[in-house]
Amino acid sequence: MDNPIYYARAEYIETDTGNKVSRRATIAGPQNIILGGKTIIASGAIIRGDLRRTGPGHAVVISLGRYCLVGEGCVMRPPYKTYRGNFNYYPMKIGDHVHIGSNTVVEAATIGNHVDIGKNCVIGKFTIIKDCAKIADGTIVPPNTVIPAMSLFAGSPAQFVEDLPESTQEMVEAYTKNYYTRFQPMPTER
Amino acid sequence: MVEVSGYYCPNCLFEVPSASVRAEKNRCARNCFMCPNCQNTLTVVASDPPDNGETRTSPIVLSAVGEPPFFLYCNHCRWDSAEVDMTFEKPTGLAAQLQKFEDSAPEALEFERLKEHFEPFLRASPSSSTLPSSSHHHLNPITAAASSALARDIPGVVKYNPLTRSRSGRDRAAAKSEIPDYRARVEAGSSHGLASGSGGEVDVDFMKHLETAGEVASLEQRWVNSWTTSLHANDLKPLRIPLHSKKSKRCPSCRHILIKPEQKAQSVRFKIKLVAANYLPAITVSLPHARAAMEMIKRSSALNKSTSTAVAEEHAAAASGAMIAGKTYPFHLAFTNPLYDPIQVRLHVQRTLTPSSADGKQKAPFAVTLPSSAFPIAAFAEAWEYEDDEDMFGDEGDYDGARGTKDRDGRARPRTVGVLERRANVTVVGGEVVLGKEARGNIKVLQYAGNVYLPVGRP
Repeated sequence: MDNPIYYARAEYIETDTGNKVSRRATIAGPQNIILGGKTIIASGAIIRGDLRRTGPGHAVVISLGRYCLVGEGCVMRPPYKTYRGNFNYYPMKIGDHVHIGSNTVVEAATIGNHVDIGKNCVIGKFTIIKDCAKIADGTIVPPNTVIPAMSLFAGSPAQFVEDLPESTQEMVEAYTKNYYTRFQPMPTER
Repeated sequence: MVEVSGYYCPNCLFEVPSASVRAEKNRCARNCFMCPNCQNTLTVVASDPPDNGETRTSPIVLSAVGEPPFFLYCNHCRWDSAEVDMTFEKPTGLAAQLQKFEDSAPEALEFERLKEHFEPFLRASPSSSTLPSSSHHHLNPITAAASSALARDIPGVVKYNPLTRSRSGRDRAAAKSEIPDYRARVEAGSSHGLASGSGGEVDVDFMKHLETAGEVASLEQRWVNSWTTSLHANDLKPLRIPLHSKKSKRCPSCRHILIKPEQKAQSVRFKIKLVAANYLPAITVSLPHARAAMEMIKRSSALNKSTSTAVAEEHAAAASGAMIAGKTYPFHLAFTNPLYDPIQVRLHVQRTLTPSSADGKQKAPFAVTLPSSAFPIAAFAEAWEYEDDEDMFGDEGDYDGARGTKDRDGRARPRTVGVLERRANVTVVGGEVVLGKEARGNIKVLQYAGNVYLPVGRP
């Protein structure tokens, strides 16, 4: 079903691996951010790749998988902890086919594959979200929560609502791939 | 039919073998607790280290895990277990540390007494020992193990078995008459000190001195306990987190296994996965007029490049894309065929039954028109195998009409009901929905799908 989602051609940078990054997104520390191919970062998103853990060498702060979508106005910040008197940031690892809704604040430690996060959510620090989970719009997930696979969470604080059907993985995969093919630059008018 | 194929804790994701599930009363045996206030999971924190002037500036950390005593803390509502005086000496193995408290709870002692009371009488009847005859009723080894374990604990609780009834009828009747009355250890209804407030007077006093409604424990917080507990919200104790189960499903008529998950708790793969989505076409609904309106607005805003009017845009889009009562709107249904063979789809609209209208003469607020002839959808194949597709505007079926050409800005020809487009393995069908004058709210679509296999080319 092809109802294209248009964007202004000048607004997005497309890389050779198919990632589409908006120029109006704030990307800090881009050398520490890894995008799997065909990922879309919408305008107004803030991705803090500059908050890296102390230490020598090259560190990966935020890594996203393929066919991901970071919605408009999203904030992605790696989680931090003070352990044994040391303050440190921890890397954030996000799987493939993850859609994050607009205006969501994500500070989770790990997000699995095929996860669908709604808009206006707050995901607390060190949350672990397993595969194929779904988080409803407006959910507040407190820190250190674990969201098991194939579950739907809603509310504030996030409560388990129900188990998702077994075909969720294919549905989410088809939806994210279809979204990427529909996300096209506006055809030039004149 | 749903059966359990494994248990896991939703917090620590630890896979619990089914034998220990019953021993731990379906709860997590490790450090997973639920906040009584907001049902969030609790974390174990250490108390603050002793505060004298030097330790503030000294870099030496006293211990890696912190100072005892440890207690539970909720991140969301900031409740902690010191309010109910639950502290621990070690940060791990909390359930074991609580074990002796749980065993001495009044309900556990009552249950033990009940078991001791009934045991001699039920052991006397010989039918309690014939277990194997009842175990073949259980198809799942887990439920069979559970039921035999249950019967071992409480002898006499056997599944009803018509074979043994005639044999031991006399014994059971004899045993029943000999059971004396059971005296409970604690009389129900009396106010005892542990669950303070289950009596009448204490509750009334509490209610008289209430300051906010938040001081009373709500029903959802209290009904999990098997005994009546006090009404004070301050007295609520944290519970261990109940386990979740992974289920496997069977067909109700032929008992073939449809879904069998893998053994690993958090893997989303399945050993057997027969999902309807692999056989039925995927259906998506869209409103072309709403989409066209959104595009017009987006185009004009992109050309103007003004972001401050984003909110105004959305309102305008919603207004023009919304469906106004009393009008007719065409909509598109796209069917995607997942099979490797072509399929035929037939649609049928059921006249909506208005739910419980008091006077009975209320018409349905909307009417849907769909093409009723069968239309084929091509098979799923790889992308390069499709020929160059022409937009076919459905010339088979009972709809004749001039095959007009589509204009540039998308103004369709007068016909909107019927097969609109056939491309790859997707067929787009148009229908119309007529809204009555009193229509309100969202339109919900209920679907019923039937699947018929026809054998082809039988000799």
